[in-house]
Amino acid sequence: MSPAAAVRAPARPAARLLRATAAELAKLATLPSAVAAVLATAGAGAVVSAALAWSAVDAGESVSAVAALVRAVPYVQAGLVLVGVLAVAHEYEGVQVRTTLAAVPDRALLLAAKTAAALVASALTAAATVGAATASAAAVRLLLEAGPVREAAEPWTAPGAVAYLALVGLFSHAVALALRHLVPALVGVLSLVLIASPLLGGLTEHARWLPDRAGALLYDPADTVLTAGTGALVLLGWTALVGCAAAVRFARADA
Amino acid sequence: MSPGNTFAAELRKAATLPASGVAAAVALLGSSLVTVLNSVSARVALDAGRAEPGSLTSPFELGYAAVPLGTVGAVVLGVTVMSSEYTANSADAGGGRQITATLAASPHRLRLLLAKALTVVLAVAATAAVTIPVCVLIARLVVGDAAPETVGPQEMLHRFLGAALYWTLTGLIAFAVTVFTRSGIVPLVLLTVNSSLVSFSLLLTNVTPLAHWLPDMAGRRLFGGLGTVEGGLDTVPGAIVMAVWTAGLLAVAAAVFARRDA
Amino acid sequence: MITIEQLTKRRGGRLVLDGVGFEARPGRVTAFLGPNGAGKSSTLRVLLGLDRADGGTALVGGRPYRSLRDPLRTVGSMLDGSGAHRSRTARAHVAWVARSNGIPRGRVGEVLERVGLADAGRRRVGRYSLGMGQRLGLAAALLGEPEALVLDEPVNGLDPEGIRWMRGLLRGHADAGGTVLLSSHLMGEVAGIADDLVVIAGGRIAARGTLDEVTAGHPSLEDAFFSLTGAAGPGGAGGAEEAGR
Repeated sequence: MSPAAAVRAPARPAARLLRATAAELAKLATLPSAVAAVLATAGAGAVVSAALAWSAVDAGESVSAVAALVRAVPYVQAGLVLVGVLAVAHEYEGVQVRTTLAAVPDRALLLAAKTAAALVASALTAAATVGAATASAAAVRLLLEAGPVREAAEPWTAPGAVAYLALVGLFSHAVALALRHLVPALVGVLSLVLIASPLLGGLTEHARWLPDRAGALLYDPADTVLTAGTGALVLLGWTALVGCAAAVRFARADA
Repeated sequence: MSPGNTFAAELRKAATLPASGVAAAVALLGSSLVTVLNSVSARVALDAGRAEPGSLTSPFELGYAAVPLGTVGAVVLGVTVMSSEYTANSADAGGGRQITATLAASPHRLRLLLAKALTVVLAVAATAAVTIPVCVLIARLVVGDAAPETVGPQEMLHRFLGAALYWTLTGLIAFAVTVFTRSGIVPLVLLTVNSSLVSFSLLLTNVTPLAHWLPDMAGRRLFGGLGTVEGGLDTVPGAIVMAVWTAGLLAVAAAVFARRDA
Repeated sequence: MITIEQLTKRRGGRLVLDGVGFEARPGRVTAFLGPNGAGKSSTLRVLLGLDRADGGTALVGGRPYRSLRDPLRTVGSMLDGSGAHRSRTARAHVAWVARSNGIPRGRVGEVLERVGLADAGRRRVGRYSLGMGQRLGLAAALLGEPEALVLDEPVNGLDPEGIRWMRGLLRGHADAGGTVLLSSHLMGEVAGIADDLVVIAGGRIAARGTLDEVTAGHPSLEDAFFSLTGAAGPGGAGGAEEAGR
C-alpha cells in the first residue's frame, strides 16, 4: 500500500544475510547482559594474566607476557561460553524469539545470520581479551622489572589464542541453539570444558578428541597426534555436529 | 502459611523446576558417564598389564574421581532455587515473575529463605546420596576383580560424607550469592569455574596465602584422597571455615532479602 | 489479503485445528472470535510461520509467510505482548527489528511516536506496563508500513483511552485499503470495530460472514457468540489454555 513498499527491489541473498546478521549484532550490542559478559571477560583476562605473571615472576620463573596469556586462556574461556550461549538463550527468556521469527521467517537465513553474528561477537571478545591479557602481563613484568625472557614466544601463539576462544564461543552458540535455554547450555558447556575435559585428560589419551582439548592446540600445540590445524578442525567438527542437530530442531519444530 | 507448609511448597517448586532436572542430569548422568569412561580405560590398562604402580585403580577411587562434576550439579540447584523466582514468564512487559506469587503466599521472608535453604540442602544431599554410590557401583561393575579395593569401608564413609558436605555447602553458597544477584548467570559461571582446576581461588593462593581461607579452598580437603595442591587448612578446620562462610553469606543474604523490595 | 484454507494442526495427538478456512480482505477489519483454547492463537501462529500446519494452507497475499522476503513490509503482527526482551530498551528493540528487514532507521522514531512511546523509548521493556508493552508490539507491527496487520488480542491491557486510540488506528488502516485481522474475546470491542467476523470453537469454524450476517437472528453479538460456540457462560467450552506460548 505504501509507495516505498511498492517500488523496492527484492534484496539479493547476500544482502539479506548481511542485513539479518546486522540485526543479530544490534540485538547483542543492546543486550545489557551480553555487553557485561564481553567487558567482564576482557577484564578477567587482564586480571588473571596479571596475577599469573606476578606469581611467575615471584617464583623466579622466566615467563613472557604471551606465556602468561597461554596460562590465562583456560580461565577466560568461560566468558566466551557465556557470550555464545547468551546470543541464543536471550531469545527464549520471554517471547522475543517470536519477534525474531516474524522478522526473519526463513529459518536457514536466520540460522546463518545468528551463527555469523555469534562468530563476530566471539571473535571481538576473544581479541579484546587476548589483547588485555597480554598487555596486563607485560605491564606486570615491567612493574616488577622482570629479567629478559630466555625462550622467544612463538609469533602465532596470541592469534592462536584468539582463534581458539572465538571457536569456543561458536561451539557454545551451537550447543545453545540445540538446547535453547541458558542454564542447560551454560552448565553443559562449562562442565564439559572446565571439569570433564581435564578429568578425562588425566585418564585417557582419547581425551585429545574433546572439542576444547583439540582446539587448545591452536595456541598450545603439545599433542603428538593432532596439530594446531587438525585440532581446530576437530573443534569445528564438533561445532558442525551439534549445529546440525540444532538446525534440524530449529527448522522442524514449532517455535 | 505455617513453616511446614512454606517448606513443602518450596520443595514442590524445586522438584517441578526443569532446571532441577538439569542439575540432576549433570550430577548423575555426567558423573556416571565420566565414571564409565574412567573405569573402562582403567580396565583396559589393567587387562593389558599397563597399569602404572600407584595409579588409582580401585573401584572406589575411580568412581570418586567424578565427584567434581557433582559440585556443578549442587551449584545449579542452589542457583535455580532462587533465580527461577526472578525469571520473567511469557508476560514480557511489566511483572510476571514468580517472586510476586511466592511472597504473596509466604510474606514472612526469613521463613521463606530458610525454607528455600532447607530445600537446597535436601536436594543436594539426595543428589549426593544417589550419585556417589551409583558411580562407585559402576566402577565396581566395570573393573570387577581386575583390581582390588584399596579403600576401607570406614574411609569410604568419611569421604562420601565429606563430598556430600562439600556439595551441600557449595549449593548453599550458590543460593546465597543468587539472593544478591537475582540473576543466575554470575554465580553459575563463577562457581563452576571455581569448582574446576582453573579456579580463581586457587590462582589467588599464588598471590596471597590468605586465599586458602576462601570457602572453596578451605573446604577442598573434605574430598580427601584426591590430589589437591599443597598447603592450606586441614580437613576439619577447613570444613569449619567453609561452614562459617556459608552461614555468614546466608545471614547477609537474609538481611538483604528481608529489606529489599521484591 | 489473508487466505486460510483447510488448516489442520495436531498437538500431542489432540486436534487443535480441524479444517479451518476463512479470508481477511483488504479494506475490511476481520475479527477472529472464539473462547480460550478454541484455536485462535494456533491459527495465527501457523499464519505467521511460527508453527507448522499438518495440513492446509495459510497465505498472505498468495504466499506462505515463511517465503516472504522482508515480511514486515507485507504483514505487521503482534501476538500477545511486545515480543521484546525485557532488558532491552524499546528503541533498541524496534531498531533491530527494522534492521532485519532493511527498514530505514528513521522509521524507528516515527513508529514510537505514532504509538505514544516517544518519551518512554529509552526505558527498559521490563519496566513497561502491560498497555505500554502492547503499544510497543504495535510499533514493531507498523514498522514496515505493511499492507496487512495481524493482531492477537490487541486491546489487552490498554486503558480506555488506549482502546479508543487502537480502534481508530485499525479503522484508519482498513479505510486506507489495508487488511486487518484481529483476534479477540471481547465482544463489545469487536462489535464496535469489525466489518467481518469469523467464529471458531473447538478448532472448527462455527460461523463466518459480515457482522450483520453472523449476528442475524440474535439480539446481540454476545448472544450470537454463545449460541455459535456452545459456550454457555462460565463452565462451558474453553477448558484448556490455548496451546500457543
